[in-house]
Amino acid sequence: MVADLKTDVLVIGAGPAGSMTAKWAAKNGAKVLLIEKRQEIGSPVRCGEGMSKEWLGEVGIKPGKWINVEVEGARIFSPREQVFEINEKHAGNEVGYVVERDGFDKQLAIDAANEGVEVVLKTAAVEVLKEKGKVVGAKVKQFGEKFDVRAAVTIGADGFESQVGRWAGLPTNLALRDMDTCLQYRMTNVDCDTRYCDFYLGKVAPGGYVWVFPKDDGLANVGIGVQVSQVKTTAEARKYLDAWIDKHPGYAKGKKIDMVGGGVSISAPMKQTVTDGFMLVGDAARMIDPLTGGGIANGCIAGKICGEVAAKAAQTGDSSAAFLQAYEKGWRARLEEKLYRNWLAKEKLCTISDETFDKIVDALQGVRLQKLSVHNILKAVHEKYPEVTKEFEAFL
Amino acid sequence: MPNKKSLHIEASGQLCIYCGACVGICPLNCIYLDETRITFDEKICTRCEICVRACPVGAIEIG
Repeated sequence: MVADLKTDVLVIGAGPAGSMTAKWAAKNGAKVLLIEKRQEIGSPVRCGEGMSKEWLGEVGIKPGKWINVEVEGARIFSPREQVFEINEKHAGNEVGYVVERDGFDKQLAIDAANEGVEVVLKTAAVEVLKEKGKVVGAKVKQFGEKFDVRAAVTIGADGFESQVGRWAGLPTNLALRDMDTCLQYRMTNVDCDTRYCDFYLGKVAPGGYVWVFPKDDGLANVGIGVQVSQVKTTAEARKYLDAWIDKHPGYAKGKKIDMVGGGVSISAPMKQTVTDGFMLVGDAARMIDPLTGGGIANGCIAGKICGEVAAKAAQTGDSSAAFLQAYEKGWRARLEEKLYRNWLAKEKLCTISDETFDKIVDALQGVRLQKLSVHNILKAVHEKYPEVTKEFEAFL
Repeated sequence: MPNKKSLHIEASGQLCIYCGACVGICPLNCIYLDETRITFDEKICTRCEICVRACPVGAIEIG
C-alpha cells in the first residue's frame, strides 16, 4: 500500500505545457509534483515537430540539442502548386525550428526537475478528488496501485485527449468541425529543402493541409491534417496522405521510417479554463492555434502564467476560482486575440475553393509585402482579382 | 434490430497507433488510452461512431 501524498501543486502530464507550469510554480516557491503516465517523457512523439521560435526567451527556454534545423521561411503551395514564400523578414514569428520533439520535452522536464519539481513517471490520474465542489487533488494509479495526491492547486496538462478537464467539470468537448485528424510519416530519401517548412493547401487536405517539415538533407516529416467533419469514410487521413505522396515523385520515392498520428483542436478559445482548485493548460485547454495547428508555443506561454498563479495560490492558501482568474485573465491577455483572429481566418479558409486559392497565390507572385497581414495580402489580391476579394470584405 | 448499444466496439491492435485522437473527440469521455491499450467503456458508449471518423488510420470497429 502506497501512502497518500500531499503537495502544493499537482501537475498532470509532463508535455511542454505541464513541465513549463511545474517549473514556474517551483521557481516561485511552490512544492510541485509532476506526474506522467508514460514511462518516458516525450515518447512516443505525436507532433509534426515544426515550431516558431520568437517566444522561447519569454518563457526561459534556451535553444539546445533538440533543434534539427533552423529554417529560413515557409512556403505555401496553392492547389496548382504555385508557391508563396513567407520569409523571416516579414513573418519572424511564423518560422523557426524543426525539432526533435522527444528531446525538447525531456529538456523541459529536466529544467523543471532542476527547479525542484518532483517528477514521477508511470503514474496516471484516474479521477479528480473533490470536496464541496472544489478540486483538492487527484486519485492516481502507479504500478497497479491507486493512491490519493492532495494538492492546493491541481493542473490538467494532459494534452489533446484530456480527461482531467472534463472530470473537473470544464467542458472541453469538441464538435467534429473543431478537430483535425492527423497522420504523419517520417520519410528518408525525399527531395525536401531544409531551408523551408512547406504547406500544401486545398482539396489535398480538406479543412487542413499537407506539411513537409525537413529534419535533415533527404529526411522530413510528411504529414496531413483533415477536418473530421469533412471525413466520409474510415482512415481518411491516411488515404489523403498516401494519395498526396503518390502524386509527388520527390516523396513517392522515399521510405517511411516512422508513423505518427493524433488529434488537433481547431476550435475557438474555450470560455473557461479554471474552476475551484483547478486550472487547465496547453492542448488540454484547446490552446492550439486553429490556423496552424501548433500547440507548443501557446502551451508554454500559458504554462508560465499558470505556474506563477499556482504558486501564489498555494502561498496565500486561496485556490478559489476567483483567485485563479489571474491565470484566466493572464493567458487570455497574451494569447486570446490571436487565437480568435486565426480561428476566424481558418473558418474562412475552410470555405475557399481550390480556384480561389490558386488566384490568391497567383496574385501574390512577385509582390513584395512589407509586412505579412491578411490586410496586405488582400490588397495585393484585389489589384489582380478584385472579384476574389469580395468574399473577404469582412476582413478588410 | 439489435440494440445499437449491444454492438461490440474495439480498436484493432493491428491498426491502432495509440495516438489518442478518439479519446479527445469522444463526447462521453468513455475511451481510455494506456500506453499501448485502448479501452472503451461499453456501458457508457452509445456507438455514435464519432471516434471511428476521427481515427486517422481506421482502427476502430463497431459490430
